[in-house]
Amino acid sequence: MSKPIITLKHVYKNYGDTNVLHDINMTLEAGKFYTLLGPSGSGKTTILRTIGGFVTPSSGDVLFDGQRINDLPANKRQVNTIFQDYALFPHMDVYDNVAFGLTIRKTPKEVIEKKVLRALKLVQLSGYEDRSISELSGGQQQRVAIARALVNEPQVLLLDEALSALDMKLRKEMQVELRDLQQRLGITFLFVTHDQEEALAMSDEIFVMDDGKILQSGTPVDIYDEPVNHFVANFIGESNIVPGKMLSDYRVEFVNKVFECADAGMKPDENVEVVLRPEDLDIVAPDAGKLVVTIDTQLFRGDYYEVIAYDDDHNEWLIHSTNPTKDDQRVGLFFEPEDIHVMRYGESEQAFDARLETYED
Amino acid sequence: MTKKTKWFANGYLTLVFVLLYVPIFYLIMYSFSTGKTMSHYQGFTWAHYVALFQDARMIQIALDTLLLALLSALIATAIGSLGALGIYATKKRQTRNALLSLNNILMVSPDVIIGASFLIFFTFLGIGLGFGSVLMSHIAFEIPIVVLMVLPRLQEMSTTMIDAAEDLGASSWQVLSRVILPAIIPGILAGYFMAFTYSLDDFAVTFFVTGNGFETLSIEIYARARQGIDLEVNALSGILFVFALLLVVGYYLLTQYTAKRQKAGVKRP
Repeated sequence: MSKPIITLKHVYKNYGDTNVLHDINMTLEAGKFYTLLGPSGSGKTTILRTIGGFVTPSSGDVLFDGQRINDLPANKRQVNTIFQDYALFPHMDVYDNVAFGLTIRKTPKEVIEKKVLRALKLVQLSGYEDRSISELSGGQQQRVAIARALVNEPQVLLLDEALSALDMKLRKEMQVELRDLQQRLGITFLFVTHDQEEALAMSDEIFVMDDGKILQSGTPVDIYDEPVNHFVANFIGESNIVPGKMLSDYRVEFVNKVFECADAGMKPDENVEVVLRPEDLDIVAPDAGKLVVTIDTQLFRGDYYEVIAYDDDHNEWLIHSTNPTKDDQRVGLFFEPEDIHVMRYGESEQAFDARLETYED
Repeated sequence: MTKKTKWFANGYLTLVFVLLYVPIFYLIMYSFSTGKTMSHYQGFTWAHYVALFQDARMIQIALDTLLLALLSALIATAIGSLGALGIYATKKRQTRNALLSLNNILMVSPDVIIGASFLIFFTFLGIGLGFGSVLMSHIAFEIPIVVLMVLPRLQEMSTTMIDAAEDLGASSWQVLSRVILPAIIPGILAGYFMAFTYSLDDFAVTFFVTGNGFETLSIEIYARARQGIDLEVNALSGILFVFALLLVVGYYLLTQYTAKRQKAGVKRP
């Protein structure tokens, strides 16, 4: 484990009676790509602004490289932010925008020129030095904002919904570029987004937030495969979530049938929720399936078909299938025991991790 | 809009402008008349203009008026811009509204009252009436105008821009000088021009606070008009009208120029 660069310890933020952040604990290691993922109003931008120095926590500590920085003003912190609306200076051209941080620090002119040109090259904007900001497209403005932050060689780069203003195609391109840039420079990135696909694609580690709390943190695969609760399961990708009952270890009952599963460590006959990812469900012949359903509708999504089916108890099932099916056809659904993920009601992340420890090797 | 109402709207607009401009053109027309009165037009001459330019006293007053306007507008712009920044930076909404209301009250209160109160104030403090007292009172009534011109610029400025500047290491002073001021320059320019014209324009306040030694054009014109009709006044009015016209055109060109240089604002998502 490399050393932590930013640590948040029991950070709370209240505005009057409203609790915006609730007991936030997080550790960011140097050189990794982190994502804060959550719906709007979940407090992710507040965390970012706390680290950036624009919000003072009501209680708790913010540490940078082991030093408490709660009271350090934004202009003294070795972190840089890329804002959602880029916040470029409209009265300066591209060169002056990028050079801003360096001129403030009274860097010699030659050094500024070298660094600015290198930063612009890094974001593929060489030759745009004299352009005014209003002449640039959204994607180019985004790159200028990145160059303006990177030129100061920050240890941590904070990105606030940095890609949400771009169109789909450009956004995908910038995702790849940002990830690539982060890996080449080895800077810690903390990226805020409400787009789960973006978070899964780019991050080393994701913090899923809702209502001022971090619900779960972990690698994209962990969070996708083993969501800790209903909210996370629903927010990260599409899911089939049905109520069930844990009969004993590795045996779960749902839709009035008993299935073998890979989860354990719960009380006998405990009421639980069962998650089945739509891509884990395979459409087979009715007699070969663990469940039998009737196809209702299907939508062609390009790389897959999104199929909606109902079982005989009128539970809805969402299936991602590579092959088309026919409406109103009766088919079987097959899935492996590992595809079943069981969630307990109200289980915290710590309790979840502790339970996993008890039966996983 | 139907043809009929459009015709009516255009007609109405024309009528309004004719009513507004006819008296001025009537006045200017007689400045070219050879006669001594405005009873009827008697043929073209530059004589009144020549007389005006040979009138050393009048030239002196014109220069004084110009100097007063330039200087008072400059000082008022500086103070007013800082005031606008102060109001903008006031976090508490009630305090901000109170400050803004105090500012607006000065805008709407009658000049006569402002002038009279200044006269009492200066006499009370023992400040002699003259250029100094006129300058001070002009600055005072120009400040609220400047505040009103600058404040909207500040309010439409993206707040994340200030955050970004701080984030990049700028101190409060650097944020102000390198980011905020360039962003509100158009407002400051507009404020300066407005203050300038208000100063040129003012009669009532000046009338109260000017002493014996100092006069502005509006005071002089008033004094001459009272003594009887003198076509030199018409010539002066003509020149002032052209000057005002040039001022408007100049302001328009200046704003066009600054707008072109900084097409304000980043494209919004």
